[in-house]
Amino acid sequence: MQPYGIQSMLKEGYRHLSGLDEAVIKNIEACKELSTITRTSLGPNGMNKMVINHLDKLFVTNDAATIVNELEIQHPAAKILVLAAKAQQEEIGDGANLTISFAGELLQNAEELIRMGLHPSEIISGYNKAIVKVVEILEQLVESGSETMDVRSKDEVVSRMRAAVASKQFGQEEILCSLVADACIQVCPKNPTNFNVDNVRVAKLLGGGLHNSCIVRGMVLKSDAVGSIKRMEKAKVAVFAGGVDTTATETKGTVLIHSAEQLENYAKTEEAKVEELIKAVAESGAKVIVSGGSVGEMALHFCERYKIMVLKISSKFELRRFCRTAGAVAHLKLSRPSPDDLGYVDSISVEEIGGVTVTIARNEQGGNSISTVVLRGSTDSILDDLERAVDDGVNTYKAMCRDSRIVPGAAATEIELAQRLKEYANAETGLDKYAITKYAESFEFVPKTLADNAGLNAMEIIASLYTGHGSGNTKLGIDLEEGACKDVSDTKVWDLFATKLFALKYASDAACTVLRVDQIIMAKQAGGPRRDAAQAAGAGAEED
Amino acid sequence: MSVRVLNPNAEVLNKTAALHMTINAAKGLQDVLKSNLGPKGTIKMLVGGSGDIKLTKDGNTLLKEMQIQNPTAIMIARTAVAQDDISGDGTTSTVIFIGELMKQSERCIDEGMHPRVLVDGFEIAKRATLQFLDNFKTPVVMGDEPDKEILKMVARTTLRTKLYEGLADQLTDIVVNSVLCIRKPEEGIDLFMVEIMHMRHKFDVDTRLVEGLVLDHGSRHPDMKRRAENCHILTCNVSLEYEKSEINAGFFYSNAEQREAMVTAERRSVDERVQKIIDLKKKVCAGNDNNFVIINQKGIDPPSLDLLAREGIIALRRAKRRNMERLVLACGGEAVNSVDDLTPESLGWAGLVYEHVLGEEKYTFVEQVKNPNSCTILIKGPNDHTIAQIKDAVRDGLRSVKNTIEDECVVLGAGAFEVAARQHLLNEVKKTVQGRAQLGVEAFANALLVVPKTLAENAGLDTQDVIISLTSEHDNGNVVGLNLQDGEPIDPQLAGIFDNYSVKRQLINSGPVIASQLLLVDEVIRAGRNMRKPTA
Repeated sequence: MQPYGIQSMLKEGYRHLSGLDEAVIKNIEACKELSTITRTSLGPNGMNKMVINHLDKLFVTNDAATIVNELEIQHPAAKILVLAAKAQQEEIGDGANLTISFAGELLQNAEELIRMGLHPSEIISGYNKAIVKVVEILEQLVESGSETMDVRSKDEVVSRMRAAVASKQFGQEEILCSLVADACIQVCPKNPTNFNVDNVRVAKLLGGGLHNSCIVRGMVLKSDAVGSIKRMEKAKVAVFAGGVDTTATETKGTVLIHSAEQLENYAKTEEAKVEELIKAVAESGAKVIVSGGSVGEMALHFCERYKIMVLKISSKFELRRFCRTAGAVAHLKLSRPSPDDLGYVDSISVEEIGGVTVTIARNEQGGNSISTVVLRGSTDSILDDLERAVDDGVNTYKAMCRDSRIVPGAAATEIELAQRLKEYANAETGLDKYAITKYAESFEFVPKTLADNAGLNAMEIIASLYTGHGSGNTKLGIDLEEGACKDVSDTKVWDLFATKLFALKYASDAACTVLRVDQIIMAKQAGGPRRDAAQAAGAGAEED
Repeated sequence: MSVRVLNPNAEVLNKTAALHMTINAAKGLQDVLKSNLGPKGTIKMLVGGSGDIKLTKDGNTLLKEMQIQNPTAIMIARTAVAQDDISGDGTTSTVIFIGELMKQSERCIDEGMHPRVLVDGFEIAKRATLQFLDNFKTPVVMGDEPDKEILKMVARTTLRTKLYEGLADQLTDIVVNSVLCIRKPEEGIDLFMVEIMHMRHKFDVDTRLVEGLVLDHGSRHPDMKRRAENCHILTCNVSLEYEKSEINAGFFYSNAEQREAMVTAERRSVDERVQKIIDLKKKVCAGNDNNFVIINQKGIDPPSLDLLAREGIIALRRAKRRNMERLVLACGGEAVNSVDDLTPESLGWAGLVYEHVLGEEKYTFVEQVKNPNSCTILIKGPNDHTIAQIKDAVRDGLRSVKNTIEDECVVLGAGAFEVAARQHLLNEVKKTVQGRAQLGVEAFANALLVVPKTLAENAGLDTQDVIISLTSEHDNGNVVGLNLQDGEPIDPQLAGIFDNYSVKRQLINSGPVIASQLLLVDEVIRAGRNMRKPTA
């Protein structure tokens, strides 16, 4: 006789989990595990994680988005949290840690409620009410006067960016912020909402220290020039996307030669043809040729003869960026470019920095829309981490171009939210009340974690924060250096409204999704045997 | 056993064992899907072989993804899939209705009844119920201007069973408007003319209806405009790239000049085609600041793109075939297959064309069109599983609106029909039946109650209380449904809960058929190679 129930109907290897204990609580546990991993990385004093991914690449970082990405989470519920963090990363580019940790905290509190006897659907409705209220309160907390900002004023930009960068590279935020702010302001278009993150490039060069980092208004290419001319000042640039070489037909061509003389002549006509083309380019005034494809020997020879510098950029995207830097229009084929299509660079030169040969194209004049942050550091992993901090900074800039509103940082907003949400919960009748209260309590994890990570006494800090906020000081936050509570207007820690809003929304979305699931049907793992046998054994809770 | 003699490896289940196996399987499947039904149903999480997540409440999706092995369960699942193919909804109801029919039969069979008698009863009951349904339905007049309110109510009823309330209400408008948009008098509704496009971006509540078209690719040339207003749209299916000749041709040349000539000659025919388009553009855009957009089903190679870009034309290549149809419906004009007969009349018009870049993906929006007969539902969501969930729901929502327009009638929902039908069967039909088939009718009538019962159960209400209060209201002559908030009877008409007529009809038609088939099985034989032993 067949076994009764669903299990008998599924294919071998399928697993079916259902019910409160088996599915919901297990899911919450997995999410909790995940958030404990990321939580210690929250804030400026967060710890770094060393992650070695499946390609044996080493990451040393406290950027939650990177950590969860490289962890390759298998557990379905934990994966929902990871997806929320990814969405946050794509949307804003910062605040991934807050998303995961907050969702984890919400679920942990939900578990307590479930153990108390509340049904998940009641918790969900409470949480949903809470997030609506949170958005409302958050809008009230926006610092007045921050609705408009001059995105070209460095001071204003830095003040908004500092918290985001400081949470990744504490102690170095001043240097980094000013670098990033400069780079962003340089390339900010007339309409700031069209700011493109892609226009701020990062070049990582091993050696030196952060203090040697600088901004290049233009591009830094990690390659050498093709020919022997390595330097050119105030030069016009011609860009050819299809390569600098003799032209070829799509159909296979055969050279028809009857005698030795013809062979000789053929070579000559080839030569003459190429010379004619290069000459035409040279006559148009171009002193630099940038090729998107191969550069033929013969073409190179004539370029040298006409004193033209030749660069090769094989990446299509890199070539487009170069066009933007120089203000050039790419030609498909080698031909005489019209004056309008020529670009211009102030200087283009091959330099050696820290043993790496790089080509630096500078363009200080207007029309340039690319700037590059040259980062220096002693190891690859430091450089990678610096790059992530810069990325976060640039993304913050993008976010502030769209929505410049700011809210107090350093846990001041969270405590205020917690406090007002609790008041709201008390006014509520019905079972939702418990869920909303728990939601409010979840906010406490931010100051708690910040303080914990900084080695301070979390309970004391939270208590004094509550006292301060209770007496009406809505901007009271933690000063991690002194270990006391201070008004954030003094410490100048501001977070972007958009970052916080999206992080909280994604987090509660993810938490509610996890709570809504009451059955899981898992297919057999596809593919061959796993590399790590131990991992396969504990397929239920793979977080490591 | 005779089969054993013929094939010693065969597995045989006979008589009661076979019957019990099928009944158990039906009940098992019912158990799984039961918690899905209705607005208060819960979500299932499906984890695929590669670890991808799918969240669903849709019975059809669930059955498709579950990879069921049990033969009986497969039969039931197929019926459900057929239900989905025909009416687009009601899969969960089908499965639980069949399960309930089997459960009711089990009781009678245990008491010594022959399945055949039950099946006869089912048949009578089925016919009577269908007749009753025809009297029970609420006709809706679908003239040139369909009653939007009714359509909305139907769509809302369907969507709320798939998504949470807030989102469902928002999608209701979108779904109804999109179907009305593509609806043409005197013609059937082709739901493919509603493009469903998704972007992984923002939140699920940012889903919206675009009156126009959204294409999931952008122009391939860096110098083309990202945004253009007042656009002439040329929809074409013309290859604008060099194509190799069919025969194996080669060039023979003896100096570089000749080769250059060959290179130009090779491209000439393509260039000429491009030139014709450019000429047309110059003709229609002369003296005004209108723009020109080409959307081509075939390819456009880089040199042609370059030529077009220099003329300020936006060109998109390799559009989907279906999108070409939609474009013509949305923007007007006609799709051209050759550039020889280009006229300004064949051009469509859109007020706004712009490109939206999202990470690596590019999207092109064609908006502000005149008299659209095609539109796009743009689904947004923070992650793939949310998008997939909304997508499935939108599909069902569209189907329900289409069904309503085609049926020209609706059925009261919230379990009202089921309770009414049961009363009708027990009070009227049963008396007209002679002999033991009466029990079959009774089993059928009781099985109908599974829908309100499950609805109540999922909402956390007491099933017995609910059924009693519903039936007593019906005995008093009131047609009532179940209010899932407080478990009290409500009038579905006032609450705006309506189901599709075709869904219910299909359900009542197919359920008893499959149940009868299963009941009449008296031997299950498994033989052949690679038999899967049950995992005991």
